[in-house]
Amino acid sequence: MGMRRRSGGFLLRVNPILCDGFGHCHELAPELVTTDEWGYPIISPTPVPLANMSALESARYAVRGCPRQALRIERLSEPA
Amino acid sequence: MALTSPYFWYTTRATGIVALVLFTLVVSLGTLVANRIGGTIVGRFELNELHRSVSIVAMVFLFIHILTTVADSYVSTGLISAFIPMTSSFKRMPVAIGAVGFDLLLSVWVSSLLKVRIANRSWRFIHWFGWLAFTAAIAHAFLTGTDTRSGAGLVLVGACAGVVLAAALWRYVGRPARAAGRTALSPLAAAKGGAVLEYPHSSSPAARLAPRSTVSPFPAADVSITERSPSPSPPAARASSGPFPRRPQAPSARRVRR
Repeated sequence: MGMRRRSGGFLLRVNPILCDGFGHCHELAPELVTTDEWGYPIISPTPVPLANMSALESARYAVRGCPRQALRIERLSEPA
Repeated sequence: MALTSPYFWYTTRATGIVALVLFTLVVSLGTLVANRIGGTIVGRFELNELHRSVSIVAMVFLFIHILTTVADSYVSTGLISAFIPMTSSFKRMPVAIGAVGFDLLLSVWVSSLLKVRIANRSWRFIHWFGWLAFTAAIAHAFLTGTDTRSGAGLVLVGACAGVVLAAALWRYVGRPARAAGRTALSPLAAAKGGAVLEYPHSSSPAARLAPRSTVSPFPAADVSITERSPSPSPPAARASSGPFPRRPQAPSARRVRR
């Protein structure tokens, strides 16, 4: 515990049905989320390594700050 | 047990007024979030965080307001009366309205604490109770209040009611259907590096998306638009003035912004 290896990556995933385009995720995690011209998120499809702590923290803030609970972090086992 | 002091009563009155003002602020901030205000001067997420933080402070004041009333043995309002309506022999109806409002607020509070565990639909439904709770609070303040029958107290309660009424009308009239466009942080981020979004982090999406963009069906010349590249960009892209670069209109150029 606590010594989990930071190998592998994660993906920020959006549920497009729940999403109402509040734009909070783009403000909270600008390095992971951009928005289309209507304000809906465009999330990078490339896995981000878990070692990228700042990106992981941003992703957690985005998940917590989503007013529609439309975001989740998906962990991937293989190294990114 | 006769635990009574005029300071209990003063504290009840003062915290009641403060809680009412704070809940006015909470409802107004929640309306700002719901109507997608922010993104230019203040971030939308910041308004959301402020809404949460102020609501916690307001709940603390509400707890003090209730605890001092319960602790004061001068009025026969017990702890049960804070939760169950019509159990207080002192001002039965006004205290009952306050108890209903408190119960509604507790449901909103607990559902927000459990927000990640319950369905978002349920949370939203319960969150509407906040409006009812505020209505109850206004009625409770006017009916029970020692200070709210005349003078500054009445003006204050009226102002709080007016602000929340305006917020409710605006929430109804000005609600966006779904999305309300980009936050202005997007053009601000673009203004730093030109046409391509650039981020301080090494794993920026611009960098990670670059190889993907090259396999896009769009012409390669459009994919490489950036202020720093030596390749000549069309003069139309440079015509933008002001801090915000004009959004390119061609669909191939728009592709670059991803």
